[in-house]
Amino acid sequence: MEQPDINVVYTVKHQLPLIMFIGQYFFYTGLSAGSFVISVIATLLGRKEFKPIGKITAILAPILLIIAPLNLIADLEQPLRFWHLMLYYNWTSPITYGSFLLTAYPIVGIIYAIMVYTDRQGPAKVLGILGIPLAISVHGYTGFILALAKARSLWNTAAMPTIFIVSAMVSGIGLVVIIAAIRYKWFDKKATPETREQDKKLILQLAQFMAYTIMLDLFLIVSDILVLLTAHTDALEAGMLILTGNFSFLFVGVEIILGALIPMILVLGPTRKSLTAAVVASILVNIGVYAMRFVMVIGGQTIPLS
Amino acid sequence: MEIFTGEAAGAGPPKTKEDEQVAEDIRYGMVIDVRRCIGCQSCSVACKAEMSVPLEVFATWVKIVERGQYPDAQRFFLPRLCNNCENAICARNCPTKASYKRDDGVVMVDEHRCIGCKYCIASCPYDVRYINPFKNIVQKCYWCYHRLDAGLVPACVETCPTRAMIFGDLNDPKSEVSRVLATNATQVIKKDMQTEPHVFYIGADEAAMSNYEEEINYFTEPLFFPKIRL
Repeated sequence: MEQPDINVVYTVKHQLPLIMFIGQYFFYTGLSAGSFVISVIATLLGRKEFKPIGKITAILAPILLIIAPLNLIADLEQPLRFWHLMLYYNWTSPITYGSFLLTAYPIVGIIYAIMVYTDRQGPAKVLGILGIPLAISVHGYTGFILALAKARSLWNTAAMPTIFIVSAMVSGIGLVVIIAAIRYKWFDKKATPETREQDKKLILQLAQFMAYTIMLDLFLIVSDILVLLTAHTDALEAGMLILTGNFSFLFVGVEIILGALIPMILVLGPTRKSLTAAVVASILVNIGVYAMRFVMVIGGQTIPLS
Repeated sequence: MEIFTGEAAGAGPPKTKEDEQVAEDIRYGMVIDVRRCIGCQSCSVACKAEMSVPLEVFATWVKIVERGQYPDAQRFFLPRLCNNCENAICARNCPTKASYKRDDGVVMVDEHRCIGCKYCIASCPYDVRYINPFKNIVQKCYWCYHRLDAGLVPACVETCPTRAMIFGDLNDPKSEVSRVLATNATQVIKKDMQTEPHVFYIGADEAAMSNYEEEINYFTEPLFFPKIRL
């Protein structure tokens, strides 16, 4: 049935509540969580050739997690009242989970990094195992922030936290590949040709691991879109917005094609032995994940509510 | 004449223990008879004056929707304000409990506790919260709680020239609002959000209650830096 001509003559629109500070915060926590997980995997496996990667990522995770909440505080209308989050907590709000997770996780991360750098394997492993659930929840809760703001149909899906965690893994591994490649190229002069060969192999393996997480990410995105397109009216509108509407270039073009499909071909295709291809793929992946945060945060709020 | 005597709004501030018990049992609600609304925006103006709502933002307004084409066209009005929901998503999601529900059901924002994270604005399905550009906190319609405490009705209800807005205690079966609710077909906006709104509409147009507008183009707004307010 076709709707009769409906013309909204007057209504009030309020300003965009969440701007890209929030998206950037999601991006940084994602990078941090991804690199922390890689670091703990390297520590737990305990092989000698993984050590450089384990060390780089151990220091990356807390640094990124110190940058991330600065975005949040800058976004507040009353930045000097940020301590209210700790004092006047509300357990039904996902932001409260976050304010405590964002305190606990960097502490564990910093002690873990000290243990890794002082080469104390035992405590590093224990802290790593303790830290992984923290790292996953510090990023997973950001998915809940969007999912529990149930007014916005693009956000209000149960897949949101999982999509966030998987895309965090993707971007985190991408960053590790880039930094490991920089180390390989310029800061690894003393190494013997054998260890250099090993390092290169390791970077390529990481890039392949990244391609597999991209596949998981694509599966989650496809299932999310499929459900959006077949659920209620608002959800259909949200699905069409990112597939054909204002955000289709960012979503289909940048996030899916440039940020997922092309990197996958670069890493798994005929260029799979090339370090340059792995680095280019990692840069593209990070651009794609940043675009994903943009589409989610800004795109979710574009659909008028009433 | 009960609107003007304030009888519908309850018994004023509690003084004794028994009065406090009565105050806890109050659940304020509003019925808006859209058939009577003439779209004069008096409620918007009264709200601005009473609550010192700054320029560019509104706590109450009348949405106007046109249906059809000339000569078969008609305008429909929908007075919009905070629903002061029973299950308020904003209060549930507020990380500092700055948004909270009073015992009588009015959803409040504590000016001194709000940090301005704007998560409540993102969570609200009705888009009725705004940022006060002078105080840098989130504000909304409080149903003029200071007037309720003094035994009066909200300013918009007081002002409405056609008496389209009826305010009172939903728990009191003898109040005007309860009687109107009991004897009329009413609607609420977005029932599927499980918010149990306390603003009921009589004869509201479906198009006015849904989102028929085009997508908002936010690409023109500063997305990477906040608006700097002086």
